[in-house]
Amino acid sequence: MTGLRARLRPSVTVAAAGLLLLLAPRVFGRGILNDIWSVAFAVVLASSWNLLGGLAGQVSIGYSAFLGIGAYTTALLALRGMQPYATLPLAALLGAAFSFVVGLPTFRLRGPYFTIATIGVGEAVRVFAGGVAFTGGSSGIRMPPGSFDFGLNYASMVVLAVAVVTLAAWLRGSAFGAALAAIRQDIDAAEALGINATRYKVAVHALSAGLVAAAGSLFAINFQYISPGSVFDFRLSLSIVLMPILGGVGTVAGPVWGAIFFSYLQIKMLSVPALRDSYLFLYGTLLILIMLFEPKGLLGLWERLPRALRRPPKEASAA
Amino acid sequence: MPSKPKSVSAPLLLAALCAFSGASPAGGAPEDQTIRIGAVLPVTGKESKIGSAYKQATEFAIREINDGGGIDLGARKFKVDLTLLDDTSDPAKSAQLVEQLITQKVHAVIGGYGSQLVQAQSVMPERYGVPFLAGGAGARSIYGRSKWVFGTLSPVDVLASTQMDFLDALVGAGRLRKPVKIALVTENTEHGKDYAQGVQDFIRAHPGEFVVALEESFELYTPDFKPLLSRVAGARADVLMADAHLEDYIAMHRAYTQMGLYHQMVTYGARGADAAARKALGSATDYVFASGWWSDLLPYPQVKAFNARWKSATGSDPQWYHATAYETVRALAAAIHKAGGLSPDAIRNGLATVELKDSILPGGVLKFSASGQAILPFVVTQNKPGDKVDIVWPKESKTGEAVGPIPRS
Amino acid sequence: MHDLVAVVVNALLAAGLYATMSYGLAVIYGVMRIINLAHAGILMLGAYVTLTLYDRFGLDPFLSLVIVAPLFFLLGVVLQRLLVRRLPSGGGTPSMESLLLLFGLWLVLQNLAYAVWGGDTQSILTNYTMRAVDLAGVRVGVPNLLVFAAGAVCLLWLQLVVKRTDLGRAMRAVTQNRDAAMLCGVDADRISAQAFGMGTALAGVAGGLLSTLYAFTPDFGRSFLLKAFCIIVLAGMESVVGVAAGAFILAILENALGAFTRIPTSFQDAVSFTLLVVALVAFPQGLPHAFLRMTRRRAALR
Repeated sequence: MTGLRARLRPSVTVAAAGLLLLLAPRVFGRGILNDIWSVAFAVVLASSWNLLGGLAGQVSIGYSAFLGIGAYTTALLALRGMQPYATLPLAALLGAAFSFVVGLPTFRLRGPYFTIATIGVGEAVRVFAGGVAFTGGSSGIRMPPGSFDFGLNYASMVVLAVAVVTLAAWLRGSAFGAALAAIRQDIDAAEALGINATRYKVAVHALSAGLVAAAGSLFAINFQYISPGSVFDFRLSLSIVLMPILGGVGTVAGPVWGAIFFSYLQIKMLSVPALRDSYLFLYGTLLILIMLFEPKGLLGLWERLPRALRRPPKEASAA
Repeated sequence: MPSKPKSVSAPLLLAALCAFSGASPAGGAPEDQTIRIGAVLPVTGKESKIGSAYKQATEFAIREINDGGGIDLGARKFKVDLTLLDDTSDPAKSAQLVEQLITQKVHAVIGGYGSQLVQAQSVMPERYGVPFLAGGAGARSIYGRSKWVFGTLSPVDVLASTQMDFLDALVGAGRLRKPVKIALVTENTEHGKDYAQGVQDFIRAHPGEFVVALEESFELYTPDFKPLLSRVAGARADVLMADAHLEDYIAMHRAYTQMGLYHQMVTYGARGADAAARKALGSATDYVFASGWWSDLLPYPQVKAFNARWKSATGSDPQWYHATAYETVRALAAAIHKAGGLSPDAIRNGLATVELKDSILPGGVLKFSASGQAILPFVVTQNKPGDKVDIVWPKESKTGEAVGPIPRS
Repeated sequence: MHDLVAVVVNALLAAGLYATMSYGLAVIYGVMRIINLAHAGILMLGAYVTLTLYDRFGLDPFLSLVIVAPLFFLLGVVLQRLLVRRLPSGGGTPSMESLLLLFGLWLVLQNLAYAVWGGDTQSILTNYTMRAVDLAGVRVGVPNLLVFAAGAVCLLWLQLVVKRTDLGRAMRAVTQNRDAAMLCGVDADRISAQAFGMGTALAGVAGGLLSTLYAFTPDFGRSFLLKAFCIIVLAGMESVVGVAAGAFILAILENALGAFTRIPTSFQDAVSFTLLVVALVAFPQGLPHAFLRMTRRRAALR
């Protein structure tokens, strides 16, 4: 099933889910709505990263840089009097622009070298942001008072999440997505077929960076206070990579499931005092188990389920 | 391939969320049986050392309160139900967890440790209108924004100016010759910046006495302090004033000692008499002076009593962070008692007007200023040879004489 | 002039430390193409084990390396057999799965440390920790000197193993081309286990050495890990000496910037990361490769 129909079906599903979520405030209290917000935020990050990391196969562990750029752009502009939501397009643009700065020199590198370079860039940005005065340095920045509206805050994140997932589904089924898949599988063969790999990589990088920066703007609006420690953290970059892989890298639904599972689990584990002392152990063990037994992530597990239920356990062929 | 899971995604998603989140209490129970207090601390992560100490002291304080029957609200005593969560030293998570505790209807929130973390947290009490008392952040910028936010730790710039007062007295006694050249080296955090600000403000207010020969900042957990200390050596200052976390204090002072540097007076801000520093540096910490929010040497009977209770419960001497965390809980309990009720406004007004007259903190009285932050005096302690420590400033609390300039070895 | 000498001496000492903490990462990455995020956790564990040996048995931290090295070698082999080998990709090709697996391991190690030793800051103070000697007019701390010496020993030993032993030859073969090596009869699986063991042992030893210089908590190791990445990238894949050279370049840059410029030392870290990116872009195969190519070209021109 290719073509328009294939691309529309998931989009309709996502739109329906989005609509339901937008109606949620009428039924649920703040507690659940906050959880949904966190999950939606994670979905945006995971799905955006997946465009470059999953579809195109270029693994970057430096995405917190884009989140931070979006957050700081919004905060700094808001302090100068601009309406916070109006800063979103500019923040996304700056994120995309920075991705050029990062991508142009580093896309020459293949595989793990590229990954390490992105780690370096991410860290350099963090140190820079913490050391320079106009970003407030290590004290961070507070948004101007009165710029928070819960309903708008909630809706905007849900809408962004829906938009990103729809976009991802659209891309995956398109010619652009096919080119990315070719690059992921064998970049030399793709180039031999006439695909300018660098141009595609740069384009998808800019797109995904812009989306993450937009999420950063909403982050700043939600938390009202940002600091280098909260937006430029290496652990954050790692978790952005973790979610799509946990859920099933390269697919459309994978990052969504990974984001839901991961972010929800993380907050819930931290909220239960009894689990507090073993939080790291649980999180770590979970990662280890999933990587060992189902590297295709949750989607892989899901796929295996009907087969495992239908046939006797002796059937052990890998998918 | 992916459409199959997605078609069931939406209803599944909402169902799952209902199942999970439904567990939290729907709204405050009509008749509150206990006082619910939430706390979010960095038990793991970068700030885990002091974060976990704060946890220990907070739980100790709550246990003492509950052992005494609880907080007296007039009709009867109410026990305190503490929910203490770990934010892994991540500001965003910290804020999220505070928000979660608030939506689970705690009556008050005890803030965390560390300016970035508490700044992030302090957004939530304002958003929801819940009383919030932070025991672990001295940055001025956190307070004064919201009527709901209070803090036990006095501003770091006052810490700095207290140290400057002490040095000023030494100048006045002829022990240091003016103009005293200062090498000012601070960590790149809010704490460090406030410290540097305090020093600079004092210098401006006392022209001709002090001059800053070098001002530098460094990143937390700098692996190699040699480049920085080479610059300090080159500045040929009389006094070294640094502001650093414990690990950096240890690393920097080790390099300092190995490089054979010398200054007439040396301080690392709030560090100095920390037991862990003594363990790591031995006699190299002799004569280092420090200015802290608390010292176990304070000559008040309530301090001696606290020391004894802490020692018998934990087996070791209390450090300053144990005391401040402990006193924060006590202040909140006193405020709730004063409020006589559990409504947010009542507790908030209780905090605004509470006066703890037997406080273990310097000055002996704990109350919150108009901005919500407690502005209390600091003490200056100086390490003496043989593992001894003396309070050397202010004169009223002195337990020993200040040694300055430091004797050359 | 004295300043220059001081910069060089301090850079050498820092380089020795940086190199030592990078060897383990380099070996594992070279042979198995795995970015070992658990390296930070092993560094931390090495520090804590050394601390325990010191506190409990009074064993000098440098002498206890004799125990730490084989202990961690065993640990590495066990980890490889239990975890890394079970990865669907066989642990032989670079993959995100191994990266995340080892990240998970790092978290578990942290929790272990919190549970066993608590979150308090620990340190080791011996009677020579604070002493210093004069080296070419520069005052140098005794532990720093000892760490440098230990690092030099590691370097020599590694060079010996890599260049002179069968194991080393097999490792180099696997590093260059795993499949071809297997075709030549190399048991790549066994080599991987031994490489992982060696890498873990080196990391444990590095952790022990770090414990003599720094105070630490279970969160220790993160900043060193990121610096180590820098260095192994500069080093290229096959060269242990490259790691030492990369460490030296980084250290010289940091010390020189500190001594000769007014750039705030808080930007020191940004220097190393920028260097990393520049190095990757200019010398994607590492410095030794570029150096060799340059010298070969000169030879060819003759």
